[in-house]
Amino acid sequence: MEFGPGFWGPIIATIVMLLGAGFACLMLLGSRRIAKVRPSIVKRSTYGCGEEVKPEEVTADSEQFYSPIRRVFKPFYRYIQPGHSGKLNTYLLWVVIGFVVLLVAIALVLR
Amino acid sequence: MIEAAPILVIIIPLMGSFLTPLISILTKRYKKDRIRDLFVVSIVIVTLLLVLHMLPTVWSGNIIVYRLGNWTPPWGICLAIDGLNIMVALIVSGIAVLVSIYSLMYMKNDTGLEKYYTLLLLILASMMGVTLTGDFFNMFVFFEIMSTAAYALVAFRRNWDSIEASIKYMVMGSLGASLFLLGISFIYSLVGSLNIADIAQKISIIGTNPLPPILILILALLMTGLSIKIAMVPFHAWMPDAYQAAPSAVVVLLAAGTTTVGVYMMLRVVYILFGVAALGAMLIVLGSVTMVVGALMALVQRDLKRLLAYSGISQVGYILLGVGFGTALGIEGGLFHLLNNAIYKALLFMCAGAIFYRVGTCNLDELGGLSKNMPITAGLFTIGALAISGVPPFNGFASKWTIYIAGIQAGKAFFSLLAIIMSVLTLAYLLKAVNAIFLGQRPKRFENVKEAPLTMLFPMMLLAVLCIVLGVLPSLGINIVSPAYNALTNQHGYIQAVLGGI
Amino acid sequence: MNFDYIVAMLMISFGLYCLLIKRNLIKMVIGLEILTFGIHLFLISMGYREGGIAPIVTSVNPASVVATLGVDPLPQALVLTSIVIDVCVTAMLLSLAIHAYRHYKTLDMSELRRLKG
Repeated sequence: MEFGPGFWGPIIATIVMLLGAGFACLMLLGSRRIAKVRPSIVKRSTYGCGEEVKPEEVTADSEQFYSPIRRVFKPFYRYIQPGHSGKLNTYLLWVVIGFVVLLVAIALVLR
Repeated sequence: MIEAAPILVIIIPLMGSFLTPLISILTKRYKKDRIRDLFVVSIVIVTLLLVLHMLPTVWSGNIIVYRLGNWTPPWGICLAIDGLNIMVALIVSGIAVLVSIYSLMYMKNDTGLEKYYTLLLLILASMMGVTLTGDFFNMFVFFEIMSTAAYALVAFRRNWDSIEASIKYMVMGSLGASLFLLGISFIYSLVGSLNIADIAQKISIIGTNPLPPILILILALLMTGLSIKIAMVPFHAWMPDAYQAAPSAVVVLLAAGTTTVGVYMMLRVVYILFGVAALGAMLIVLGSVTMVVGALMALVQRDLKRLLAYSGISQVGYILLGVGFGTALGIEGGLFHLLNNAIYKALLFMCAGAIFYRVGTCNLDELGGLSKNMPITAGLFTIGALAISGVPPFNGFASKWTIYIAGIQAGKAFFSLLAIIMSVLTLAYLLKAVNAIFLGQRPKRFENVKEAPLTMLFPMMLLAVLCIVLGVLPSLGINIVSPAYNALTNQHGYIQAVLGGI
Repeated sequence: MNFDYIVAMLMISFGLYCLLIKRNLIKMVIGLEILTFGIHLFLISMGYREGGIAPIVTSVNPASVVATLGVDPLPQALVLTSIVIDVCVTAMLLSLAIHAYRHYKTLDMSELRRLKG
């Protein structure tokens, strides 16, 4: 497909990506042959940030997973997340407010 | 071409949904329930074959007009099929075939299955009715049938969350349909006709530039009613609850079927009924707000199906953004994204259903490390996740790239930048879902989880193959989408075809 | 100013008020019903003609008399269809209210918010 000053050839791009993925697989298999996995008697403990981490602390809570991104978008989250409170009356109020906003927007765009 | 093909597409699922309880009584007596399931699958396949049969006629530029009872429009109801209609009918019937094959195994542990299959055929018949009709009140009646069948299907399992989600969906949906009916009554009082082509002709005589105040009120009422159905912000609040609580086979049909039909109705009302292509500026702003809210809310979810529901809200924002740009590339990109959204949303929700079927929970905190037990499902979910984020060489990249370039060419580069940032956030939360479900440590109680059954894997693999094929050869997608683009911008041709000869 | 339109708009606004303010599910269903009835009243009053007769062709009123003097029969057909749809939706809403009472032991809509976020 041609989009003005640019060219995207999906078949060529797919072949190049598959070649790159195949090359990475070859490297992975080759490295497995060189450095074999040896099981050890002692179970190695997790070592993170300079101290040992217990196994139950390793998992990430799914809601706090992206806390840096939440901090960046804090002004949006302060209004959006408490708004989804679960009460039906609030949702119906949004519908009425949205209808008025649509009315004003159509009047602005098409007048 | 079979002369009665347009009306048969609506009548065959409708008659099938009336016959299903009778057949179910017979099969239950002789203990052969599989016959009822195969009957439903065969009816849906016949519908798809009829839609495919009508494709060559419509794609060569003709508009099929079928008059019900041989009454000429505008005094009779007609079915008018142009390029936009046939694309939506193709999407809906294809998804319905895959859903009926998927629910052969998925609903195995549920009782009351004859009611489920009746509602499935009823919602398929009503979706076909909304898509193919050329009469405005007929569209409203089929829209209400589709909504009522959807309310009943969401509440199918009668758990506490299904009941609560269905109540919220039902109250909001009924309010939207009532506002839609108020808009229809205003149009009837203004124009005196209910045929879409006739209303379009009379409104263009009244004049749309500038729009008189009564038409502003009518357009706002109609768009509110439809925006509740497609879950545009701020009318989207029912969607995460309904998609979390419904059975996954139903959610596939809702996400890929009713959302597509709702977007089609909005495009038909704005572009052909009113002919106000200049409304695109408002659609751009609403589409970008929908995109942003959907992506931001999806980042903080714990439940897999709720996360995918917010992701669906975000993708509808992309479609409205693409269509709102107004250029040929923008509208084609938006319509192509509509096609792709149906494909990868169906794939993702089917994978979520397969996980729920085998494991019993969809909470991201409790799942983990399932890639050793369910390798095929993991691969298909990863393909769907990469496709929805717009990673080449999948189909999401082709349509999203078209939307970005259209934004830059239309001079609105800020919205293209916003769309790119939201794509990155889409990849972020979907990779979080893949990590939480398939990678990482596996809890002890999931040791004997088996792979999803083959009948459920077959539709998922078909959708993943479609993802890859439409991504590597996007010209196939453009062949489906460009008759729809030609039909959308050709209001005059539509009016001529339906009313010409009077 | 036609009296029917004012009453219809009042009914629509009362129904909307009920949906937004009341917290009991049954009262919200009644509010939705009043809203829908207001829209039906509005639609029927669209077809009214001053001093009109019923649009039925009999031997006393031939077709020409009905065409010039009769009220519009099309909104009546539309409203009949819409009343049937409304009955379906109300029946389903009330049965869901029964199920909700069994699960939650209350019908207060601000209690039915376990699905949030």
